[in-house]
Amino acid sequence: MKQETVLEVKDLQTYFYSSEGVAKAVDGVSFTLQKGETLGIVGESGCGKSMTSLSLLRLVPSPPGKIIYGEILLNNTDILKLSDEELRKIRGNKISMIFQEPMTSLNPVLSVGEQIAESIRLHQGLSRKEAWQKAVDMIRLVGIPAPEKRAKQEPYQLSGGMRQRIMIAMALACTPDVLIADEPTTALDVTIQAQIIDIIQNLQKQLGMSIIFITHDLGVVAEICDKIAVMYAGQVVEEGTTESLFEKPLHPYTNGLIQSLPKLYEDQEELSTIHGTVPSPYNYPIGCRYAERCPFTTDLCREKQPELLTVEPEKKVRCWMYSNEWQGETHMKEMTV
Amino acid sequence: MTLFILKRLAQIIPVTLGVTLVVFLIMQMIPGDPAIILAGEGASQETVAELRENLGLNKPLAVQYTDYIKNLLQGDMGNSLKNNQPVFEEITARLPITIELAFYSILITIVLGLIAGIISAIRPYSFMDVGLMVVALLGISLPSFWLGILLMYVFSVQLHWLPVAGWDSAKHIILPAVTLGAGGAAIVARMTRSSMLEVVNQDYIRTAKAKGLKGYIIILKHALRNALIPVITVVGLQFGSLLGGTVLVESVFAVNGLGRMIVDAIRTRDIPVVQGGVLVASLIFVFINLFVDIMYRFFNKRMDLN
Amino acid sequence: MNKVTTTIDHSVLVNARKASRKKNLVSFLNKIKKNKAAVAGGIIILLYILMFLIGPIIAPYDPFDVQLDQKLQGPSLDHLMGTDDKGRDILSRILYGSRLSIGVGISAVLFGGTIGTLLGLISGYYGKWVDSIISRILDIMLAFPGILLALAIVSALGPSLINVTIAVGFFSIPMFARIVRGSTMEVKKLEYIDAVKTLGANDMTILIKHIFPNILSPIIVQASMRLATAILSAAGLSFLGLGAQPPSPEWGAMLSNGRDFLFTAPYMALFPGIMISLLVLGFNLFGDGLRDALDPRMKN
Repeated sequence: MKQETVLEVKDLQTYFYSSEGVAKAVDGVSFTLQKGETLGIVGESGCGKSMTSLSLLRLVPSPPGKIIYGEILLNNTDILKLSDEELRKIRGNKISMIFQEPMTSLNPVLSVGEQIAESIRLHQGLSRKEAWQKAVDMIRLVGIPAPEKRAKQEPYQLSGGMRQRIMIAMALACTPDVLIADEPTTALDVTIQAQIIDIIQNLQKQLGMSIIFITHDLGVVAEICDKIAVMYAGQVVEEGTTESLFEKPLHPYTNGLIQSLPKLYEDQEELSTIHGTVPSPYNYPIGCRYAERCPFTTDLCREKQPELLTVEPEKKVRCWMYSNEWQGETHMKEMTV
Repeated sequence: MTLFILKRLAQIIPVTLGVTLVVFLIMQMIPGDPAIILAGEGASQETVAELRENLGLNKPLAVQYTDYIKNLLQGDMGNSLKNNQPVFEEITARLPITIELAFYSILITIVLGLIAGIISAIRPYSFMDVGLMVVALLGISLPSFWLGILLMYVFSVQLHWLPVAGWDSAKHIILPAVTLGAGGAAIVARMTRSSMLEVVNQDYIRTAKAKGLKGYIIILKHALRNALIPVITVVGLQFGSLLGGTVLVESVFAVNGLGRMIVDAIRTRDIPVVQGGVLVASLIFVFINLFVDIMYRFFNKRMDLN
Repeated sequence: MNKVTTTIDHSVLVNARKASRKKNLVSFLNKIKKNKAAVAGGIIILLYILMFLIGPIIAPYDPFDVQLDQKLQGPSLDHLMGTDDKGRDILSRILYGSRLSIGVGISAVLFGGTIGTLLGLISGYYGKWVDSIISRILDIMLAFPGILLALAIVSALGPSLINVTIAVGFFSIPMFARIVRGSTMEVKKLEYIDAVKTLGANDMTILIKHIFPNILSPIIVQASMRLATAILSAAGLSFLGLGAQPPSPEWGAMLSNGRDFLFTAPYMALFPGIMISLLVLGFNLFGDGLRDALDPRMKN
């Protein structure tokens, strides 16, 4: 079954310029997104995953940030080359985004119904009445009872979980091709998290859209993503299907992340962690950026930066271990998780 | 909401009484015997004594006060010492002029201030922004009476565009209203600018952009509505200095309003007029504050519940 | 209870507090230095202080010396700011007048600030009915718009610069009292105060040694803001003829005089106005900078 590629990102670079120097927040990120697929982007805070998502809609605060290189192809149109007018037509319409903090991401002085309806009026040209009706329908769709009443309310009158549902309703009102979800559940209670994830998945089935799900929570990613891209220090270090990533992680960082998840079925005396810290985006090392913390580092790792290699169909990794030049001792390939 | 209004109305009563008490007491502080002053030099002892009896000056202070209140409630503020006309009438004649002046001044404050603030905020640190903010800084630094004189010099004396003083035509309103409104406009402009800059960095503006909304809609519908909230407070606070400022501006431009009446009366020691004028001005102020308070509460229900 | 232990513990707390305050003060001063507006404002204020101190000494002429044959001359090398309608040198009058105009402002703020601070401390610390009464009184004082309260007081006491000082001082009281009350109530809630109380300190000690130093910074900010207002108000009242009487070279009175000669000698009104405006401008710039430096959100 040949799937359509909806979104293709090539060598995206987003840098931040300040008095402290240049921060290379996104430094050569590439991935593809197929129709109906859910891609998860995982990584620690500061790895550049949020900036990547903001770059997709050109929402990077600028100054001080700037997308300096790359291509973002939405159905073969490069978003980075669009005029402002054309870009606006895509935002909220072909690509939508929901953010981490539903508390602050909704305008406190407008009713939630209006915030959904204005999008509909703008992109679909419906009348005020029609748009409002559709907004109410969307509120119902995301599982909020008494939608007509709720539509007239302002965000402060809703709970955190409800606000996030409103954000989802707002994002999906114009049935976009791609939904970017930037840590949508991080600020919510665990029980609410599950509900929100459910809603997103159901709506995806109904509307047939693709999703980019950004999070640092591996648990969530395991549940809903088809494919995962692991980011570290502004780069993608591993990419693969969810199953294969958890079964057989290739990159030592991925392995470290998975190992640090508390295990339910085994006794653990200590939670394992990855020692060391992420390098500063102002000052990346010349070689592999994970070399400092990696248990398998060799001289090659410190001297040259590895490329993102395709080791199997649908499996890419940025690590010297999988190249022909590897001369390290312990081989992770032989380790099982 | 209605409960709030009633509660505030109830709070107003002691304050209002307090104002009348303060005005009454201050007038009592005046050295000299009012009866002697009124009777004039060389009046006989009996005339003075009779006058004292008539003016009720022999009664204890508390009784004098309650009489005063009773009279006030009937609209009797005594008579002017100069021309013996009822103070009440003189106030009612001149109050509308002051109110008109105040009205146009507030208009200038709000309109000029908002426009300047918004323009500055849209392109921060641009030439326009810096220029407007420098002007605003001058606006809050120049004393109103000097600004009035300056404007008078430029526009009346030199350019002959506008009349120097008086209140007869539309042209007469311009200089005094601008003088009185300028300070407030500067404050509003600065407040609007800083509020807008803060709002524009909020997450919900990013959301608005992510929905593909047009630029001017984001500014006017999403940003401004939030940014104006603290500005309303500032405008509300302006009423105080506005009313106080009429005293100065009316004197500069020889406008026959309440402010000038009070000042002239102070100079001629016409106590009942001063009393009446200060009282009326203060009571108006108290009620304006109440109104602004209620309006603010009304627009701000969401703040309380947060 | 062991008296010696109590004293030692007490002073440890006080010293710790002093140390952290000193650190805050240093970083605060650094922030002010970086703010160009604050520095400019500060320089202007210092220049005025200089004028206040040595103005009359460096004045070229006697400000009261009437020389009718020299009257109404425009600015020249002899008279840098010209002469007024009585032939007096305007520059000299300005320099002498600085003591009056600035002095009134300072006195009024000292007067109003002291009383206001006391009221605020008492009101904020003791609360309950004391607070209610004082707050009620403050409300009444604030019910008078702008300078109207000062006007009423001056009208009762009679026109003179001293009465203007009293009047302006009086109407500065509520602003100070409000701010001090709020700060006091905040500081009172700090655990630090509870700790000192359990060590047996009495109310007076707490108020003076502990609460007052901590509310000092809002008082200073308020004082600098009120100083500008006080000077403006006093000048305004003098302008109306209710303050300094002729031939006093107070700037507001000079402006009033100058207004009558606007057609023939506009510089008579120009210079006093500039002096007042520049001073207020200095305070505003400095106040802006002060506010920015105190704002916890400004990092760079």
